[in-house]
Amino acid sequence: MKVGRKIKKPEKLNLVPILDSVFIFIFFLLMSAQFVDVYEIGSALPMVQEAPDQKKSDKDPLNLTLEIDKEKGIVVKTGMRVPRSRSFASTQHAEMKEYLRELKTANPDEHTMILKSDPKLPFQSLISVIDATQEPKESKKKLFEQIVFDNSGVEK
Amino acid sequence: MKKRFGRKRERQQVDVDITSLLDILTILLVFLLKSYNASDLKLDLTQKLEMADSSSTYMTRFAPVVQVNKNSEVFVNNKIIGRIPASGSLNSLTEVLKVEKSKTEKNNASQKQQYNAELVNLVFDKNMDYSVVQRVMHDSALAGYSQFKFIVKGNY
Repeated sequence: MKVGRKIKKPEKLNLVPILDSVFIFIFFLLMSAQFVDVYEIGSALPMVQEAPDQKKSDKDPLNLTLEIDKEKGIVVKTGMRVPRSRSFASTQHAEMKEYLRELKTANPDEHTMILKSDPKLPFQSLISVIDATQEPKESKKKLFEQIVFDNSGVEK
Repeated sequence: MKKRFGRKRERQQVDVDITSLLDILTILLVFLLKSYNASDLKLDLTQKLEMADSSSTYMTRFAPVVQVNKNSEVFVNNKIIGRIPASGSLNSLTEVLKVEKSKTEKNNASQKQQYNAELVNLVFDKNMDYSVVQRVMHDSALAGYSQFKFIVKGNY
């Protein structure tokens, strides 16, 4: 006598619910997708405030000022009592960044950078200079992240 | 009368193989997740405006958006308000921004979600002269805004 054996068919996984949820998720993402990555660069109006009571320091304030000229390039000026300046060509962004790092190491409490620009300077050039003066967001060490625009223009 | 001897065929349920569809959807999902931007600012660029490229990775925030395109036309929240004059300030920009600021302040007083009423987002064409940037910042400052964010294109 033959005993019939039932062959068990492999059970198929029901993918329909997961497919439903994936579809909903895709619609949500499609609606909120931005295909151009936009980011921001901050700047603030110069604020006038009373200086806190502190011991008067003999140290010359940094007063870091960047003068950007369309033709001449970038001049980094420092110091109030003893002014110093160093010039960089428009293409020497890496050298300028290295110099700013040195300044930051010497003045760790300074966070402000004043930007003076040539009125004819294209916006892209200005942004490139600002980029060159900043460390990446992920970096623990920051340079002079407070940018203040001085509208008096560059010295010709 | 003819007798029908034919037996009704049992209908077999056809299984559609959705594995390949699921593969495509997963790839699409990963792509959309990569391009997802968590920022609350939805930016619609106006015509004839090419954003400046930057290496900044700071997320944009919700605030009124001022755009200035190649033709020096000024838009506030995608509504044209005029053209940058050859000299002097654009009074309509200050007026419109004052209205926007009071709207934000009213919203902050009544709604749970708070926005920074001091912040304005500025989008300029990459070839725009700094003098235009300077004047727009000046007019925005007259409306009571003290924090300016330049909106730039990332992944540079």
